[in-house]
Amino acid sequence: MAIPQASFISRLLRDKWFIFLLIALVAFPFVVGLLTDSSPFGVARGDRMIMRGESVRWQAVLIEVYILAILAMSYNLLFGFTGVISFGHALFFGTAGYVLGLMLEYTPLDTTLAFGLGAVAAIAVCALLGLVIGLVTLRLKGVYFTIFTLAVAEMFFIFLGRWQLTRAEDGFAITDLPMWIDPSQNRISVYYIALAAAFLTFFFIRRLVNSPTGAVLKAIRENEDRAQSMGYNTINYKLLSIVVAGMLAGVAGLLQVVLNKKVGPEILGIAYTVDPLLMTIIGGIGTFIGPVIGASGLHLLDVFLRDATVRIGGLVIDIASIWALLLGVIFILVVIVFPLGIIGTWQRWRMKRPKRE
Amino acid sequence: MADILLEARGLRKTFGGLVAVDDVSLTIERGTMHSIIGPNGAGKTTLFNLLTGRYRPTSGKVFYKGNDITSLPVHRRAHLGIGRSFQITNIFANLSVLENARLAAQALGKDNFRILRRADSFDAYTARAYEVLELTGLRDAASLPANVLPHGGKRKLELAMILASSPDLLLLDEPTAGMASEQVPDLITIIDRIRDLGKKTIVMVEHNMSVVMNISTRITVMHQGRVLAEGDPAQITANKTVQSVYLGELYDLPKGEDA
Repeated sequence: MAIPQASFISRLLRDKWFIFLLIALVAFPFVVGLLTDSSPFGVARGDRMIMRGESVRWQAVLIEVYILAILAMSYNLLFGFTGVISFGHALFFGTAGYVLGLMLEYTPLDTTLAFGLGAVAAIAVCALLGLVIGLVTLRLKGVYFTIFTLAVAEMFFIFLGRWQLTRAEDGFAITDLPMWIDPSQNRISVYYIALAAAFLTFFFIRRLVNSPTGAVLKAIRENEDRAQSMGYNTINYKLLSIVVAGMLAGVAGLLQVVLNKKVGPEILGIAYTVDPLLMTIIGGIGTFIGPVIGASGLHLLDVFLRDATVRIGGLVIDIASIWALLLGVIFILVVIVFPLGIIGTWQRWRMKRPKRE
Repeated sequence: MADILLEARGLRKTFGGLVAVDDVSLTIERGTMHSIIGPNGAGKTTLFNLLTGRYRPTSGKVFYKGNDITSLPVHRRAHLGIGRSFQITNIFANLSVLENARLAAQALGKDNFRILRRADSFDAYTARAYEVLELTGLRDAASLPANVLPHGGKRKLELAMILASSPDLLLLDEPTAGMASEQVPDLITIIDRIRDLGKKTIVMVEHNMSVVMNISTRITVMHQGRVLAEGDPAQITANKTVQSVYLGELYDLPKGEDA
C-alpha cells in the first residue's frame, strides 16, 4: 500500500515482455532485410531511393498496423474505459489528415515548417472538435450521443467529398513532404516514428487510466449516476476522455496521410470508425493491449489473405472477393468463443482458475 | 431554536398531471435520525430525489445549513457534505470493493485530475477506503470485484461509499431493501455506529417498520404526496390517523409486499 512512487523507467523495465517486443520491432526492418537479402533502406537509383524489396514492403505493413493500433487504442479509451460509444471516430482521423494535407499543399511555407505547423494544427483541431462535440452532446445519454457523433462524422465526409478546394471525392496527393518523413524516400524513419507513436500512445493511455482521473472514467463507465452523487462532475471527465481520444486518433490520421501521401474523403469514411470498434471488441474492450492485438490480428490477416487463393478440388476461390464475408465469420466466432474479447476473456479465465503452488 | 441542517419549504413536484409531492415542508435537525415512511406511492422517493438534487422541484425550495441549494446539481451538493445511497443497489459492479470505496474517498479531494500519478499511490484515499470498509465489515472482501458480493454485502458497500466522503448529512433510500431479515440487525448496528461515531445526521426512507421504530429519533409520515404526521416513534405509533392510513394498511398485507 505504501509503496514509494517508482520512477517511470523502473516501471517500464518491470514489463519484460514489453521490452522484448520493443526490441523485436526496432530490429524488425533489419531482420527482415537479412533474412530476405534486401536493404531496409530501399534501393539507391542515382540520388533517389526506390522502395523495393521485402524489408521496405513489410515496413509499410507494420506502419499500417501501428496506425490502426493507435486508432483502436484511442477508441478504447472512450469506449472501453469511459463507456461512451461514439460512431464518429473517423472524424478525428480524417480531419487531422485533411488539416495536414492542406497545410502542405496549399500554403507557400517551407516544407518542414508546413509539416510541423500542420501536425500541430491538426491535433489542435481534433481537440477543439472533441470539445465542441462533447459540450453539445455529452449531456445526451447512450444511443442519442452515438447517433449524433455518426451524423457529424458523415456530415464532414459528405462535405469534404464535394468540396472543390480539396478536389472533392478524388482528394489530392501530397507531393511536398519533408525528405526525412517521405515514405517513398526514407520509409524506415516513418517506420520508427510510427512505432514510437504507438508505444507512447500505449503508455500514455495506461498512465491516464491508472491515474485518479482514469479511476473516475471507469466509475462513469460503471455507473454515471453514482459517480455524480459522489461529487464528480462527470461531464468534465467525459469531455477530457473525448478530447484525448480525438487527439490520439488525429495522430493516427497524420501518420496515415504521411504513409499514403494522399488525402481523400475515404479517411473520413465509416470504415475508420467500424474498424477500431471491431478491433477493440475482438482484442478486448477495456484492456490495455486488447485493441493492439485486435488491430494487428485483423490487419495482418487482411494482408496475408488479400492476395491468397484457395483451391478446393477444382474450385479456385479468390480470398479478396470474399474477405468481407470471412471477416464477418471471424468476428462472429470471436464474439462467441471470447465474449470479452481475446485478452479480456483470457484475463477472466486466469482470474477464475484456482491458483496452485 | 434548534440547529436545523436541512430544510424543505413548500416542495411540490409534478410529472405531467401526476402530483408526486405536494407542498411538503420538512426540517431536519442536526444529529437526528429522521425516517420518512409512508405507503407505496406516497412520494417518499420523489421527495428524496428533490433533496439530493436529482430532480428540480416544480415549486418550493431546499435549504442546507441556511443556504438555498434548490438549483445546485447533484455533484455540487455532494461537495457541501450531502451523501446519498440508492434504493436499488448502485455500486461500480466491475471494480473492486476497495476501488468502490476509494473512488468515494477521492471524490471530494483535489487530486482528480492528477493524470501522471497512479490512483493507488494516494495513500490518504486508500487508508480512508480501508477505514470505512472496516467500519462496515467489508475489509476482508476488499480485493473482490464488487459484483460478487452477496446482496447484504452490496448494501453495506453502499454505506461504506457514502461514509468515505465524510458527509454531514446522509440520505439513505431504503437501506434494507431486498435484504434477508436475518441480515437486517447487522445493518442497523452499522447505521447506529455511523451516527454515534461522527454525530451524523441521517435521513432515511424505509419500509421495514421494526427498523424505523428502533432507530429513528423522528418520523415523518407521508401519504399521497403530503405530510400526514410528524413526531417521535411513540407519537407516531399512537397516532390514530397514521394507524388507519398507513400501519393498518401495511399490516393487512401479506408479508414481503414492500419490495
